[in-house]
Amino acid sequence: MSAATPVSTSAVPTGGRPPITAARRRRRPMPYLLLIPATGFLVLALGYPLIRQVVMSFQEYGLAQQFGQPAEWTGIDNFSRLLSDSYFWLIVARSILFCLVNAGLTMVGGISLALLMTRISTPVRLVLQVALLLAWAMPHLASLTVWQWLFDTNYGVVNYALTNWLGLDFDNHAWLIQPLSFYFVATVVICWMSVPFVAFAVYAALTQVPGDVLEAGEIDGANGWQRFRLITVPLIKPVLLIVGLLQIIWDLKVFTQIFVLQDAGGITRDTHLIGTYVYQLGIKEGNFGLAAAASGIILVLTVGVGFHYVRLLVRQEDEL
Amino acid sequence: MRQASFLAAGIAAALVLAACGGDEDPVAESDEPDSTEAPGDDAAPEPADLRLWVNGGDTPQEMRDWLIATFEEQNPGSTLTIEEQSWEGLVERLTTSLASPTETPDVVEVGNTQAPTFTNVGAFLPLTDDQVAELGGSDLLPGFVEAGTANGQVSAVPLYAGSKVVFYRTDLFEDAGVEVPSTLDEFVEVAETLTEASDDSNFSGFYFPGADWRNAVAFIWDAGGDLAVQNGDTWEGALSTPESQAGLEVVQRLFAQSNAAKDGDEAESWIPWCNDEIGMLSAPGWAYGVIQDPDAGCPDTPAAENIGVFALPGQDGPAPVLLGGSNVAISAQSQHPELAYELLKLILSEEFQAQYAQNGLTPAKISLTSEMEDNETNAAAIAAAAEAKLTPAAENWASVEGARILEDFFIGIATGGDVVQLSADADAAITEALN
Repeated sequence: MSAATPVSTSAVPTGGRPPITAARRRRRPMPYLLLIPATGFLVLALGYPLIRQVVMSFQEYGLAQQFGQPAEWTGIDNFSRLLSDSYFWLIVARSILFCLVNAGLTMVGGISLALLMTRISTPVRLVLQVALLLAWAMPHLASLTVWQWLFDTNYGVVNYALTNWLGLDFDNHAWLIQPLSFYFVATVVICWMSVPFVAFAVYAALTQVPGDVLEAGEIDGANGWQRFRLITVPLIKPVLLIVGLLQIIWDLKVFTQIFVLQDAGGITRDTHLIGTYVYQLGIKEGNFGLAAAASGIILVLTVGVGFHYVRLLVRQEDEL
Repeated sequence: MRQASFLAAGIAAALVLAACGGDEDPVAESDEPDSTEAPGDDAAPEPADLRLWVNGGDTPQEMRDWLIATFEEQNPGSTLTIEEQSWEGLVERLTTSLASPTETPDVVEVGNTQAPTFTNVGAFLPLTDDQVAELGGSDLLPGFVEAGTANGQVSAVPLYAGSKVVFYRTDLFEDAGVEVPSTLDEFVEVAETLTEASDDSNFSGFYFPGADWRNAVAFIWDAGGDLAVQNGDTWEGALSTPESQAGLEVVQRLFAQSNAAKDGDEAESWIPWCNDEIGMLSAPGWAYGVIQDPDAGCPDTPAAENIGVFALPGQDGPAPVLLGGSNVAISAQSQHPELAYELLKLILSEEFQAQYAQNGLTPAKISLTSEMEDNETNAAAIAAAAEAKLTPAAENWASVEGARILEDFFIGIATGGDVVQLSADADAAITEALN
């Protein structure tokens, strides 16, 4: 798309180059040859665990099997047991909701910071960028330990500040004990860790938005919000879609943050998300078959949630 | 420290990866001595590098140094590496490591309540009757031998035992004008009095964090209840029985006077102790040493200088507290079983076990109990151990701990939930996990 193209939100016509016919595409083997290395690596890295998982999900595979006893085939027992368990569905629903809220908040926060970065002077921007980079590069367990201390019931700084500085009654308040409050803390931690990535990616995209288009829009009488919505967003849409998809995938399979917070407090059963639940089924309780089946179901769900997004992404790329 | 447990896990993972890299052929190696050995030869096992896992800080550094030095001296050419694992997440690490011939440590310490699960699935190398006799036979602590026995075969032997005792602040007792309690009712009253006497909102007469089921279970047992009971071939959760409910009433009262985190656990309880926030603390005997430690504790402060100790009283004599301690076993996948057995012999030797006794733990052999220093802490520990009980001997008990059913249950009670409803839910969860 050239800078002079008039901005329109409807689809840009695909014309320009002659359409490649299906027959012509099939005659060229090169693209397929080029796919081989990537596919090969994927099969090498994921193939065996994936096959093993599928096999296990149809077996009664517990601790005894882990230590060498033959596994018994049980057909779809594992799947029917999970699918008829209302607690499993509760966790699935909880995870999807948690993922959407977190991905949404992260995107809003990241885009806002990116916009802020385009407006502030260079020294201030550099300070902000370094701070974001540090937050993002910090190893999860190290920063989680600090978050845990901040929200500690007896000695936490958060309780101290709310009680002594704001005069609220947060003395010995247990932040993790109510599931909603637990998820609030988890959301704060997760957004803190993932906003920097979104901010950097979107900021990079924003620097590519041509100034003259925005200026033309301004001359035509578009206000700030309109320029953002009708000019900037469509131009950086591919980046937004990719980053958004990554956030959704990451937040759906979130594990470390929840696992560490569960260790610090809270009621485990009321705070499980998909990741920690599968871990408990498999590694902690030794029901590897059941855990494998649960992972299988979740894989299908993830693909389901992601599919719509990927399609949107592919269509967007076609348009460009 | 949580961080430390993850560090340990990370290090363990790194070691595991490193072990994968080796491309020796261990099976062929271990076959060799058998085929070449002349009959009557003094079967000295082939030198090798052994790995031993010990958990947490229960085995002090001097004891580890002694073990390494003595083992390497007795088995020239062999080396011993001791890797410390954290108790938190131990079941997961044992599950993944013990099953692999290349990753497994040769000898492992396992918590006595975790021992039945791993013994039953065949994770440990079974010992012959002669070997058990050589290791101590009937002198070994019977409850622990039972925990390490499956189908009549012993594979995990006791390492040490240590039941919790109650530490109390003599100065705070004096200030509040209370005496050392001799019955459970008095104990609860003293706890309530101490909490009322303090103006610190973090202070607990009896320190009782919500997730501390290992202490809470003593009150259920004292009232005649239990966590689960065997009914024919199946196990059933037993928290809803009238006896258990009576015990839970005591638990509720004690939660009410405690200002410990309602969803916290009992790990690192010496931090609030050193902060003058505890009147009475139920902890293993070695906690005394931690409080006196210049790095971890607070020597030369009132909290360290005014410590008294007693065994938790029940309705009639000492209460049945949870029998703590460890078993030790050879991994079934160990590539050097003979050498590992030599190490096991050394671990159960009088010299090594006597050192546990000197450190305030009950040694694996009954005959060595006399080695324990004659002091207040050890006297209380021996009194407590006399009545101590084990968690239900169900094969799948580790699942109950893995799913944190009891932690969730007691946190629910600590936050003022409906005890009858919570008990019914927990019973259902326990029954499902055990069968």
